[in-house]
Amino acid sequence: MSPLIQGVLTIIIGVGGCIGYFFASNLILDKVIFPPKGANPGRNINRANMVRPWLFLLPAILALGLYLVYPVIGSFWRSLFNRAGDEFIGLGNYITMFGDDQFRISLFNNFLWVLVVPAAATFFGLLVAQLTDRMKWGNIAKSLIFMPMAISFVGASLIWKFVYANNPDIGMINAVRDFLGMGPVDVLQIPFWNNFFLMVILIWIQTGFAMVILSAALRGIPEETVEAAIIDGANPFQIFFKIKVPQIMGTIVVVWTTITILVLKVFDIVYTMTGGNFGTEILPSYMMSYMFRDDGRATAVAFVIMLIVLPVMIWNIAQARKEMR
Amino acid sequence: MDNIAGTKTSLSWVMNITVVVLVLLWLIPTIGLLVSSFRDRDQISASGWWLSPFPVEQNFSTRASGDNAVQQGDLFVIEGNVYDDEEMAETFGGETPPIAAFGGTRAAPTAFQPGDVAELSRDRTLSVLEDGSYTFTSPAEFSRDPRIYFASETPPEFSLDNYDTVLTSDNMDVAFINTLTVTIPATVIPILIAAFAAYALAWMDFPGRGLLIAAVVGLLVVPLQLALVPLLNLHNQVGIGQSFVGIWLAHTGFGLPLAIYLLRNYMVGLPRDIIESAKVDGATDFQVFVKIVLPLSFPALASFAIFQFLWTWNDLLVAKVFLPSDDASKVMTVKIADDLLGSRGGDWGILATAAFVSIAVPLVVFFTMQRYLVRGLLAGSVK
Amino acid sequence: MKTYLLAGVAAAALTAGTAQGAGHLPFAPGDGDFNWDSFTAFADANDFSGEEITVTGPWTGADAELVNSVMAYFSEATGATVNYSGSDSFEQDIMISAQAGSAPNVAVFPQPGLASDMAGRGFLSPLGDETAAWVRDNYAAGQSWVDLGTYANADGADELFGFFYKVDVKSLVWYIPEAFDEAGYDIPETMEELKALTDQIVEDGGTPWCIGLGSGAATGWPATDWVEDMMLRTQEPAVYDQWVANELPFNDPAVVAAIEEFGYFALNDAYVDGGAQAVANTDFRESPTGLFDIPPKCYMHRQASFIPTFFPEGTEVGEDVDFFYFPAYAEKDLGKPVLGAGTLFAITNDSPAARGLMEFIKTPIAHEVWMAQSGFLTPHTGVNTDMYANDTLKALGDVLLGATTFRFDASDLMPGEIGAGAFWTGMVDYTTGADAAEVAAGIQERWDAIQ
Repeated sequence: MSPLIQGVLTIIIGVGGCIGYFFASNLILDKVIFPPKGANPGRNINRANMVRPWLFLLPAILALGLYLVYPVIGSFWRSLFNRAGDEFIGLGNYITMFGDDQFRISLFNNFLWVLVVPAAATFFGLLVAQLTDRMKWGNIAKSLIFMPMAISFVGASLIWKFVYANNPDIGMINAVRDFLGMGPVDVLQIPFWNNFFLMVILIWIQTGFAMVILSAALRGIPEETVEAAIIDGANPFQIFFKIKVPQIMGTIVVVWTTITILVLKVFDIVYTMTGGNFGTEILPSYMMSYMFRDDGRATAVAFVIMLIVLPVMIWNIAQARKEMR
Repeated sequence: MDNIAGTKTSLSWVMNITVVVLVLLWLIPTIGLLVSSFRDRDQISASGWWLSPFPVEQNFSTRASGDNAVQQGDLFVIEGNVYDDEEMAETFGGETPPIAAFGGTRAAPTAFQPGDVAELSRDRTLSVLEDGSYTFTSPAEFSRDPRIYFASETPPEFSLDNYDTVLTSDNMDVAFINTLTVTIPATVIPILIAAFAAYALAWMDFPGRGLLIAAVVGLLVVPLQLALVPLLNLHNQVGIGQSFVGIWLAHTGFGLPLAIYLLRNYMVGLPRDIIESAKVDGATDFQVFVKIVLPLSFPALASFAIFQFLWTWNDLLVAKVFLPSDDASKVMTVKIADDLLGSRGGDWGILATAAFVSIAVPLVVFFTMQRYLVRGLLAGSVK
Repeated sequence: MKTYLLAGVAAAALTAGTAQGAGHLPFAPGDGDFNWDSFTAFADANDFSGEEITVTGPWTGADAELVNSVMAYFSEATGATVNYSGSDSFEQDIMISAQAGSAPNVAVFPQPGLASDMAGRGFLSPLGDETAAWVRDNYAAGQSWVDLGTYANADGADELFGFFYKVDVKSLVWYIPEAFDEAGYDIPETMEELKALTDQIVEDGGTPWCIGLGSGAATGWPATDWVEDMMLRTQEPAVYDQWVANELPFNDPAVVAAIEEFGYFALNDAYVDGGAQAVANTDFRESPTGLFDIPPKCYMHRQASFIPTFFPEGTEVGEDVDFFYFPAYAEKDLGKPVLGAGTLFAITNDSPAARGLMEFIKTPIAHEVWMAQSGFLTPHTGVNTDMYANDTLKALGDVLLGATTFRFDASDLMPGEIGAGAFWTGMVDYTTGADAAEVAAGIQERWDAIQ
């Protein structure tokens, strides 16, 4: 029972500590360091407002710095060394990597994934979110579509084995082919297209994510806007495309970005379904095959992945600037 | 007017049907998993899960007991019933469906119709009747128990054995509590920290804001694997080592970028006039955050909570690295992956069951949170 | 004899009082034909009361119970508590915990490659010359086990780091005796006969082989065993050793020929269940079930001695299914080569109790306890082979003893990138249509890159 008590205690300490920190630090700032009274109340308020953002951000910056920035910098340094980690080779890992066929295949496949999966998952998510919005059994439908999100990747790979397996007694696709009198085919071995069969799995999982976020956004659209459009005689399609979609465009972009980033990280599906064989390797699984063996190469792959996401980062900075104005 | 109502109902029909189709498409694979969780490994590889509710004609083999051989003239004869065999009785659950065909060799198990007399090698003969009774004859003594092959319909069979294995395995209760001990703080703490940070990034003006936002987006993509070894080193140096505190901190760190990113984007979309009028009324940022932004952001908080909960719940890698590997601190995913699946890697029935057991709690969380999603929004729109 | 017995009783009485948290002992000390003398002698000489040691290894589930039952005797004898935890992703876990400085006391490595890697990084403690001498004297073909456990340390000097415990035999073909009997097939004694039998089965309308290479991220490894076995059946053992050390390049005609020997069976649509296309992606755990189908999907399955775990429930090895030695070519006169693998114990975090455990697994009793329960083979010459749990295991032991050449799984000895990477994926490429010479050249290229 001790972990249970320990757990309850930490929830109280952790959560209480967090709340206490934010509350106390703001209180001290406002009442003790820069009280809005005395000689220069105006200047004090301004100063307090300059410090306050950092109070709000401090725990997050600490956690991010320690748990992500520090390892990233360490890893970048590591990627400049050879496999044993005792010889500095500059960009040697990057250069040999770009000469590797397997890497180029992974890179190409990864672009396919980045193009297809976020688009498809967001599309289906939006479709379901909109269709179930005012439906009586909408919540049930949503829960069912959401279910794959709750299944671990290992479970998901198993599920799709029951669909893709070469053996018509196990795989549904081949059972159908068998029924139609066609010979069995291993869909995971069809060159090029097998990538898409693997993508289907991630789309199937991520649609639930897109749906939850987008349906929350759809419900956030003020009733009046929609009602006004109905009175103006707009048909349901016009309402959806001209009124609703522009209103939630920001959220759509967030969902798209999040799934894109996820695509760049998920190795489990390829790893468990094909092990990267049959020309289905993607960068994260390529990285895994070097992880703990040639850490120089593995970390170099990680930085190529981070490079791919650069456009998304730049776009987000621009977006943030626009909001500031 | 009638016309409009007409298109409306037909449109709602189309909508309903589309949703049904989508739900079915999404559901079919999962149903396969659910059905498989009630079947054992042999059944799963013998027939497709979609056939499992129907009686299936399958081929079986049993041994005629040589001990029962009686000498009749020149021949040694064994008489008996295929369903009397213990193993068969178990397979058929005591039922005796009619024999569809039989044979004397594994290569041709259904070569003869019930009642026929099959001529086998070494001048042996075999005859099986529809009720399962057989007569095996041989001119020479039976050196070992001969096989009889037959085809018969097995009734559909489902069992809770897999669930029994998964749920009652040693220390599963401890693992369940451990998982909750990991997931709850690992969900609540990052949300709290992220909410404040997201507010600062969305509604407070300070130098370096754009850069920080970009950094958060950049950190989203950091592969976890990169961070594991340096962080475990750090934990060991600081004295946390492998412990629950360590895993909470790790999950917090890894979950923060997405939390901040999602929450900031939601908060930016909140109506500017509400916040500004509050500030004009003299509210401090802290008050604005606690009294206005936090309640309005409830749907976003709830949806992130769902996702963070799911990830920590299904996480295997972080748990393996940051928790000690003794039984007292194993979480469910580790327990299932290491203890249950390890040497039975091919046991799909167990895997399917494990997947369903671990899906149960996240689904409950989703249902509860879904209510809050709506309520939070209603509260928002009332204002 | 009498004094021995008395000492034993006294030791048992003593340890019974002090042993704490000792697990269940499957055989009461003193019962049966076990080598209890070695147990009492060890118990007298060692006392680690109150100490705790942690052990991690690749054994989980039923195997974990078995190793725990062996550890229980160590606890009984010394009073130390042993905390064993098994993991399916042991290779990754041990690397992370060693780098993070939280390694267990003793690690059980499923393959020498990884142990050698870790020894080179200074994560393992050497076992000393005394142990090397012991292995040389007490293991069949002792020197070869010493060589397999000897790696370069962080300074590049060779030292013994690994102690082999539990061996698997890989050169086995599984079949169903009744199916062979009914069809009138005889067990092939030579590779020529095996090929003739393969054709015979096809002629009779059957499918001879079930081959599956699927294993998630490790897809392809079963094919490496095939190629290694073929290598031993087409080349001198010395050539095999050169191949392992990469003194013979991977794209040497000898290696390419061995790959093509595997292809002779695996790439012929008529020879394999499901056709050649099914080979690459059929799960290796699911593959043997084809033997048990009625009518059979195949008649033979080449796989190591661990595979019965994946046979359908209730299958009795020896009665329902049996194995024969994967034969060698009569014309090549290379004797009876046997391919094997094994797990080795190494100290990852030194302590007196960890040393004590390494001493314990030298005692015959540590081997007999596992032998008597389930699939466990050992090269220890001091054990009572009557203790093998059943005749099949004994027969497996005979394969090991009857070998004129014993060679360790090459892929386990090659560097991780090759033996657990390029070799696997190369084999998958080969079974899905790539040319053997090209595949071999690709693997060699990768090997060049890491040297």
